[in-house]
Amino acid sequence: MIRSKCTWTCSQMHSPLRFKYSSTLVSFSNFIPPVVTSRRSTRYPSLMATLSTVSTQQDAASNPIAHPPLQVAKRLEKFKTTIFTQMSMLAIKRGAVNLGQGFPNFDGPEFVKEAAIQAIKDGKNQYARGYGVPEFNSAIACRFKKDTGLDVDPEKEITITSGCTEAIAATMLGLINPGDEVLLFAPFYDSYEATLSMAGAKIKCITLRPPDFAVPIDELKSTITKNTRAILINTPHNPTGKMFTREELNVIASLCIENDVLVFTDEVYDKLAFEMDHISMASLPGMFERTVTMNSLGKTFSLTGWKIGWAIAPPHLTWGVRQAHSFLTFATSTPMQWAAVAALKAPDSYYEELKRDYSAKKAILVEGLNAVGFKVFPSSGTYFVVVDHTPFGLENDIAFCEYLIKEVGVVAIPTSVFCLNPEDGKNLVRFTFCKDEGTLRAAVERMKEKLKRK
Amino acid sequence: MQRIRPVTSNIVEKGMEKLSSVAKAFTPSPIQELSHLARRCNAINLAEGFPDFPAPPHIKNAAVSAINSDFNQYRHVQGICDQLAKLVKEIYSLHVDPLTDIAICCGQTEAFAAAVFAIIDRGDEVVLFDPSFETYEASITIAGGVPVYVALDPPNWTLNEDKFMKSISSRTKAIVLNSPHNPTGKVFSRDELEIIAGACCTRDCLAITDEVYEHIIFDQEKHISLASLPGMQERTIITSSLSKTFSVTGWRVGWAIAPAFIASAIRNIHVKITDSAPAPFQEAALTALTSPSEYFESLRRDYEFKRDYMVKLIAGMGFRIRFKPQGSFFLFAELPENCLLSDVEYVQELIKQAGVVAVPGCGFFHTNLSLEKSSQVGYQKRYIRFAFCKSNATLSAAAQNLGKLLGASGCLMLN
Repeated sequence: MIRSKCTWTCSQMHSPLRFKYSSTLVSFSNFIPPVVTSRRSTRYPSLMATLSTVSTQQDAASNPIAHPPLQVAKRLEKFKTTIFTQMSMLAIKRGAVNLGQGFPNFDGPEFVKEAAIQAIKDGKNQYARGYGVPEFNSAIACRFKKDTGLDVDPEKEITITSGCTEAIAATMLGLINPGDEVLLFAPFYDSYEATLSMAGAKIKCITLRPPDFAVPIDELKSTITKNTRAILINTPHNPTGKMFTREELNVIASLCIENDVLVFTDEVYDKLAFEMDHISMASLPGMFERTVTMNSLGKTFSLTGWKIGWAIAPPHLTWGVRQAHSFLTFATSTPMQWAAVAALKAPDSYYEELKRDYSAKKAILVEGLNAVGFKVFPSSGTYFVVVDHTPFGLENDIAFCEYLIKEVGVVAIPTSVFCLNPEDGKNLVRFTFCKDEGTLRAAVERMKEKLKRK
Repeated sequence: MQRIRPVTSNIVEKGMEKLSSVAKAFTPSPIQELSHLARRCNAINLAEGFPDFPAPPHIKNAAVSAINSDFNQYRHVQGICDQLAKLVKEIYSLHVDPLTDIAICCGQTEAFAAAVFAIIDRGDEVVLFDPSFETYEASITIAGGVPVYVALDPPNWTLNEDKFMKSISSRTKAIVLNSPHNPTGKVFSRDELEIIAGACCTRDCLAITDEVYEHIIFDQEKHISLASLPGMQERTIITSSLSKTFSVTGWRVGWAIAPAFIASAIRNIHVKITDSAPAPFQEAALTALTSPSEYFESLRRDYEFKRDYMVKLIAGMGFRIRFKPQGSFFLFAELPENCLLSDVEYVQELIKQAGVVAVPGCGFFHTNLSLEKSSQVGYQKRYIRFAFCKSNATLSAAAQNLGKLLGASGCLMLN
């Protein structure tokens, strides 16, 4: 029956490896899907098959319908179920300790939660102003000034979004034209590529490599040209924990000014900067007028599910961000914005304690990973650490993660899914330490017991 | 550290070039702008579509409880899907699989945007009815789609089958249906839905519905979900949300219900746009969606009372109300016959002289109509939308303010 052959099967929808479908795919009657059991590449792991949701396995059998199903948009090649969800689901199934997905298993501070509760009780439950509750915009301006020394206009230069994820989507859709060239540093957070493809951008990539993931300056100089529309910088960097140094930012800045390039920065981990000070690109001379600085509440306040983020940019760039934001989500959760006002007024001691807590957690994990036999790369910021898994003799990162879940009972994230070219990440996996100490120790114990070097 | 910011118009102009061509085409929301003016003048806001009365206590309590119980990290609450599946079965006789057919999003807005990105490719045409809510077009355009507007015929905003069928081409990918309808308050009849369904099936199109006002219907009207018509479930994406039903427009919890492969695509896109809807409000949604039938009954009753009040009030001002809203919380009223002002001018006077704000209808009409000449659509500047999702106190305050402006004829005297 035509329909069962034409539905996007689970493997295609869930694989982190890109299937390059023929661009002549126009209607399902012409579509000849790859057979599920044959592997497109030797790297296609059984893990992905086992991770496919029960639901989509039923797709083919359900709905006996006369018409062939109608086409979904071509852009969906980039929109598969994320690796994080897949790993989390398997972790639950196997009772594995989850050091994969980057959200805490402890909760946010009471004073912020209380503020949200109060806002709900006070009736702040209706649409907020599209670009943000005024008091929240002001609080962000205040915090930004403290962090960078920059004065920004909360009314004209700040936009509140549903998490930094939406800030990124709105920035791409509002400021990038189809065909524009945008530069990313790999490995990169998975929504960058997806939203850039939604905007029709041409993606160029520079890979950051171990051991220190330094920016390759020569490659950078030859890659940024007058044709480059924008460059995206995530610092502190997920997944490597690298923090862009002042020298690196200076080089990037001068190339951007010279070639009239925009900069989009994702700084959600800025308060988890351990080994050096976090530097915002916008604060470098000449850079504010070409930079969109994005951030969020979730990581700093352990409230990743509240979806409160923001974009700071000069008015002419903010306008584009706001246009896209207005049809993406229209407005951001009102009570949480009010709570965020309280959060951003947290005293310095809050941030100091945050860093202390995370430093302790990091120590447990890093010590443990070293003892187990991983090659651990230094992570200056974020709550992630990447390691080289090859001492354990598995073929690649995905195979290693599969083995780690099934045989050891611990979850990590394969780094190749963060790279345009999976080869660049195949030796690396990412662990997170945004978990309580008991969880971290349990994970380390399991690995010490069951993970043997080859 | 002083920021060096040469503020020259040159920079701004160059900056404007940096905007995507689509973003440049957009103008700021007229509805939001009027709200700003109203706020500045301290006017009674009958413009924006959100309640000024509190959300139901049982739902607020559920949210508070969720925050206290640490439901504050990224999550997907499957229970919402289970409950929605139950509801659509009970109310619309639709059988959906809660595991595969539902995507939870940040409001109906995001569900709609994700649905559009899921199915619209460059050059695809999307048929919409005119007048229409302003936001649909934006996501269609950004996705590379081409909006094609079909005018509903005043005064009753009826669907003209001939006009409608003529606007469908070989490039038509989808039809957007908002019912109950913003701004007119129309509830599409079964006959009209059958026309739309017929077109979708024979011309092999998809449908995206916006059913956010599904529970706000009057006079024993029934809201029929397009997806429940024969042949439609497999080609319809339903979008809706908690916002209007539960008076929590600021919580941003909505959903899309669609055939599994489309719902899956929507879910995947949603994850890249926002990652998840606010977690504690997802929990509260469970409580909301299991509200007893009395809740929905009293919602209807209360809004029907407000509708009647508003109709009487506005008619008393000399407006022509040839079509009483059948659903939603909007009254789309035609300016008094002898009134020479345009809708925008009238609203401005209303703000300045009566301290009441409403929305000029021109914001909902489109000039790029399929098949109409501009000479035939003079009515586009003759309508004003009044929202009655306001407390009775607000409504009577508005009545008082407006009452002061009534002239001897009983009609509103505006200079």
